[in-house]
This record gives sequence, C-alpha cells and structure tokens, in this order.
Amino acid sequence: MNQYLIMCRSLTYAQRSARLLERSGITATVVKAPQGLSTSGCGYAVALRKRFDEAVSLLKKNNLLDGRLFGRGEDGEYREVRR
Amino acid sequence: MIYLDSAATSLLKPPEVRRAVSEAMRSMASPGRGSYPPAMRAAETVYDCRAAAAELFHVPEPEQVVFTMNATHALNIAIQSLAGPGTKTVISGFEHNSVTRPLTALGARVRVAGTRLFDREAVLRDFEEQLPGAELAVCTHVSNVFGFILPVYEIAALCRKYGVPLIVDASQSAGILEVDLQRLGAAFVAMPGHKGLFGPQGTGILLCGQAGKPLLHGGSGSDSIPQHMPDYLPDRLEAGTQNVCGIAGLLAGLRYVQRKGTSAILRQERELLRLTRQELEGSGLELFAGPEDCQCGVLSLRCPRTDCETAAARLAERGVCVRSGMHCAPTAHRSAGTLETGTVRLSFSPFLSAGQVKRACGVLRSLD
Repeated sequence: MNQYLIMCRSLTYAQRSARLLERSGITATVVKAPQGLSTSGCGYAVALRKRFDEAVSLLKKNNLLDGRLFGRGEDGEYREVRR
Repeated sequence: MIYLDSAATSLLKPPEVRRAVSEAMRSMASPGRGSYPPAMRAAETVYDCRAAAAELFHVPEPEQVVFTMNATHALNIAIQSLAGPGTKTVISGFEHNSVTRPLTALGARVRVAGTRLFDREAVLRDFEEQLPGAELAVCTHVSNVFGFILPVYEIAALCRKYGVPLIVDASQSAGILEVDLQRLGAAFVAMPGHKGLFGPQGTGILLCGQAGKPLLHGGSGSDSIPQHMPDYLPDRLEAGTQNVCGIAGLLAGLRYVQRKGTSAILRQERELLRLTRQELEGSGLELFAGPEDCQCGVLSLRCPRTDCETAAARLAERGVCVRSGMHCAPTAHRSAGTLETGTVRLSFSPFLSAGQVKRACGVLRSLD
C-alpha cells in the first residue's frame, strides 16, 4: 500500500484526528474522500503513508475511529482494510 | 470620541483582529467545500478558532463549539432545542429579549425568578423555589443593562439538583468572567463573538453540552446524500457557508483574551467602573451600582431632569458614545423599576483609559 485513508464522519473530526496524529509524530493530511469511498456523499478522510497500524490504534484509543479504512495499492485502486 | 458602549459591540479591538479579517478575505475560501489550499486554509482557521474557544471555555472537544451569527442566533438554537408549547421554563428577572422572545414565540410557560437587583441571595432563593417541576431554566450570567453578575454557577447546581436543563446567556461575561461549560454542566452556553471576545459583528458561539436541534437546514459539506442534517456536531447546527472572515477575526480576539487573561480584563473594567462612580458621586445622577463583586464593567444611570434618550443624544454631540433606552431588556427594567424611564448605560473596555473616563464623567456631570 502506498497510501492509507482513514474515513472520518466530518471535516472537524478529520482535523481533530490529523492533529492528534501529528502531535504523535505521524504525518497525516486531511483530504476530501475520493468519490465512492463514502456511502453518504461528501466525506473527509485522514491520509497517511506510514505508521498506519499505530495511527489506527491511537485514534481508537481516543474514540476518533468511526469510519472505514482504505489502502491504495500499486494499481491506484483503494481497497478496504479490515481492522 | 470616547466609546462607552462595549456591552453592545466592542468597537475598540486589538489591531490583529482587523488584520486577520483582511487576510482571510484575501486568502480564504469556504471550509468543507474542497481540498484546494484556500479552502483548507479556511478549514484550519475555523478549526483553530473552535479549539481556542474550547480551551477558553473548558469545552471537552472542539466539535462542541458551534459558530453562529451572534448570541441571539445561538440562544434561538438552544431554546428551540429544549422548549416548545407549554414547556415550564424558569428565567431570571434580567433576561434579554433574545431569551424572552423565542420563549414567547414557542409558547413556553415562563416564570420569572430573581428580580432583586444586585441581590444574589434573593435570586438564588427564587430559583430554588421555582425550579422543582420546571422543564427548562434560562439564565443570563450578567445583566446587559446593569452589569449585575448573577450567581449562575450556584443556579447551575440547583438545576442539576432538580434535573432541569440549563441554558446560560454569556453575552456580557464571555471574555470577562470565567465561563466554564464543564463546571456549569449546562445544556448550552450562548455568547456573541463581537463583545468581550473582540471578534467582528456577525460572529457568535454556542457551546453545546448536548446535540441540539438544527434551526437552519442546508449544506454542511458532509454526508450530502441523506436529506436530514447530520446527527453529529458541529455539522448538525451549522448549515450554509461559514463566516470565515469573521471567524478569523474572532480567533485573533480569542487569542488576545487568552494572552491577557479574563481576570486582568475584569480588574481593568472594574477599576474604570470604580473611577466612574467616584467621579459621578454627588453629581445628582442616579447610579445603579451594587457591591463590587456583584457588578462588572456596565453601569446604568438616570438623570433627574433629562430623559435618557435626550441625555444620550447630548453626550453623542460631545463625543461620548453610550446606549440609552430599554437595551432590548424590558424584563430587566421591570425588575429594577426602570421600565417607564429606561436608563443611560455606560460600558467599559480594556482599551479605554482613565483619562477618557474622567472626561466622559465631566460631560455627564454637566448634563442637567
């Protein structure tokens, strides 16, 4: 996987999540979720390239993990990653 | 010009507020509408402002800070979330029309508790008497007419005791007194951004202890397919394009308050209040002044021979800006016995000097 997306319920939650990760030294960016990954229309996600498992664990510990997780393969396609 | 109307709007603001508004207008688009740099810059600013407000007002999470157009808008969201026809509601005797009019429009059954000016014990006794069986309480932290500081933390404790949800109107206290959502345990706390927080007009904040019902329905930039507002904050209560330029200015104002500290601001305003009382002693003007710990930087007065509107107009001619009349708070005037006459209101700010206050008092003394 060359990029991971952690889907967030809103822009504010994505920002809060990204800042939490940044404070822990994990580089994370807020992005608009690609069309099709969100089931209810526009959505936001936190994108990261490294330390995915650590990021998921940190967000879970802080009650910020409530969306689906995706990884982008070499073919550019996103596939859901099971927790 | 000597500006003594900060209880309406803080015209005198830290210069960084103006710079922040101007910079936002030049460089920011709408948050939640795209991932291009001007939209993300706007999103970051809005989030920073939520986080700053959450820190200042002891709100557990930034998403519990909802941006509104003003305190009236925030109060309307809060009141229509908790009140409806027949809702048994207790309010203080010092509420603004932004509380009493929404309650009237919704058909709530309103009882007034605590009408004795500068008597906190009497206010508490009245609330204790009226709260059992009530379904909602709404209380201002500080009277916008008299600067009377109501015992809102003690009223909050009574509300918890009787299981009554509480809405606090912090219009005159935010940025001046300690406003602590967690300690209050309130359902909602409403405040303007453009008074003690030094933001521009058109900004307000609702601190949410619970989710609330949307007053406006529309685009939230999230979950766009379902035809109901999202069930999570802040999106649930923030439909439509945000006032990003205003919020950028509000952020600068909040940071100023955080740097200076509310206790220093209160001390400064109380010094100006004390000075005004000294300067006007023996002037023949009727001052509505209470014990120092019961009043912050707002002082109402009446002139024995000049009505309040004429007095304010004559002050304006001589460069002294004050507010006169009912101050949109007939309930407070009814409580204080000034409903027939209204009052002239002076309100202070940390940007006023003692010299300016003395000059304004000189003009006041010469009125009658």
